[in-house]
Amino acid sequence: MNEVWRPDSLAHLALWLAISAGLILLHLLPLGSARGDWPMPDFLLALTLAWVLRRPVHLPAPAIAVVFLAEDLFLMRPPGLWALAVLLGSEFLRRRQSVVRELNLMLEWAMVAGVLTAMVLGTRLVRAIVMLPNDPLHLSFLALAVTILSYPLVVWVLQGVLRVRKPATGEVDELGRRL
Amino acid sequence: MASDRSNEADYVRPVRRLVIGVLALALLALFLLWRIDSPRVERFRTAVVDAVVPNMDWAMAPITRTARMIEDFRSYTRIYEQNQELRRELQQMRAWREAALQLEQRNAQLLDMARVRLDPQLTHVTGVVMADAGSPFRQSVLLNVGARDGIIDGWAVMDGLGLAGRIAGVGDRSARVILLTDSNSRVPVLVQPNATTALLSGDNSPAPVLEFVANPEALRPGDRVVSASDGGVFPPGLLVGEVVLGADGRLRVRLAADYGRLDFLRVLRSRPAERIEQSGSLLRPVAADGTPLDPATGAPLPIPLPDVVADPVVPAVEAVPAPGAQSTDGPPNE
Repeated sequence: MNEVWRPDSLAHLALWLAISAGLILLHLLPLGSARGDWPMPDFLLALTLAWVLRRPVHLPAPAIAVVFLAEDLFLMRPPGLWALAVLLGSEFLRRRQSVVRELNLMLEWAMVAGVLTAMVLGTRLVRAIVMLPNDPLHLSFLALAVTILSYPLVVWVLQGVLRVRKPATGEVDELGRRL
Repeated sequence: MASDRSNEADYVRPVRRLVIGVLALALLALFLLWRIDSPRVERFRTAVVDAVVPNMDWAMAPITRTARMIEDFRSYTRIYEQNQELRRELQQMRAWREAALQLEQRNAQLLDMARVRLDPQLTHVTGVVMADAGSPFRQSVLLNVGARDGIIDGWAVMDGLGLAGRIAGVGDRSARVILLTDSNSRVPVLVQPNATTALLSGDNSPAPVLEFVANPEALRPGDRVVSASDGGVFPPGLLVGEVVLGADGRLRVRLAADYGRLDFLRVLRSRPAERIEQSGSLLRPVAADGTPLDPATGAPLPIPLPDVVADPVVPAVEAVPAPGAQSTDGPPNE
């Protein structure tokens, strides 16, 4: 895991942390009227998954766990549960990074959608097991659908604006090793 | 990376698995701890939020301010319709305010009539105004109480607050009230701070004129005007109104009674004024049982003087106005 400590990776990690802080802050802002009954897409989650699929080195698992735990704490969710789901989902995608690298956006999108659905279902299952009140089913699936729909947009921003792309064939890092 | 093992040392993979496993277990443990011992973890959450969120003020304030400004700017674009809306609402509010004021006054009036006793011996009969003269300022009204209820000509009539007029004409079941504003009405009054006597004479205007003022230079606008018992017409001390300086330079009285809404009126049962015929015993000390005492020794006088007052408690209904009062101040137009 030495790649994590390289300046390039650290800079991208810092960028991701800043974006996460900004998105969480946006949730906390007292702009209640902006949000109607149509749920906002979870941009942070989509961004994280897309990023992990492109450059897993930038986002180490502890950082993901800490950020989503903080989000749990700030957004008054049960602390740890959603962070756990995100951690497992991102690790699942991280393992399959070599597969996804060959896929086009449509298939990647379908894969991410499957992972997101599994995360939501798993969370709901755990909440049911420990007898926590679940969100209304249609609302959580609406939020899930909105997040899935926003995924291509997030990928576009990630690749176009933040310049985080899948490694091209034969691309090397600054030490000359193949990615 | 998973595809390119050459970049990874052999120990990396198990270590990563271990790290992720520990992380997952920690998160799960935190969640279960929260589920089991919620208050403690919630306190931790509160502490974290407390530590972070106030420090983010510098970041939140500009964003919030900007968002509010955008919102405000959006509202500027429809400021005209907003203005119209506000005007409409203001109009409605005015109507409601008027209604509330009227209800308040009426409520005060009714409460007053139900409870207030000016004088324990001054009982009253409350009547409802059945009809009025119909002129812009009603100078006389018809009450639904009459001789059947013991009403006698000449009694004072008040609304909740002040003197309204005087009974002038009693039928069996109705009585006519000459209001103070009637051009035939003449009522002796007292202007209060310096007890200036005057005559309140109506002239068909809303504010009757003060005539025959003893010393007009002593009066000020705003002085309280109460009824005087001169001539035995009215019980003394009933509120009439306050002095105003009319547009024509004459001293007038703005009446306390609300002439715009004469719905319920009460007729005061007047008792004849006590006449003092012997002045001797007024200054003489009396014992508790009424026997006069010798001012020098304090001993009871051997020969009691004749009692001055026959009986202070006269049943109110049987009271008959003093004949003098009736003759001098009967209804002027009859």
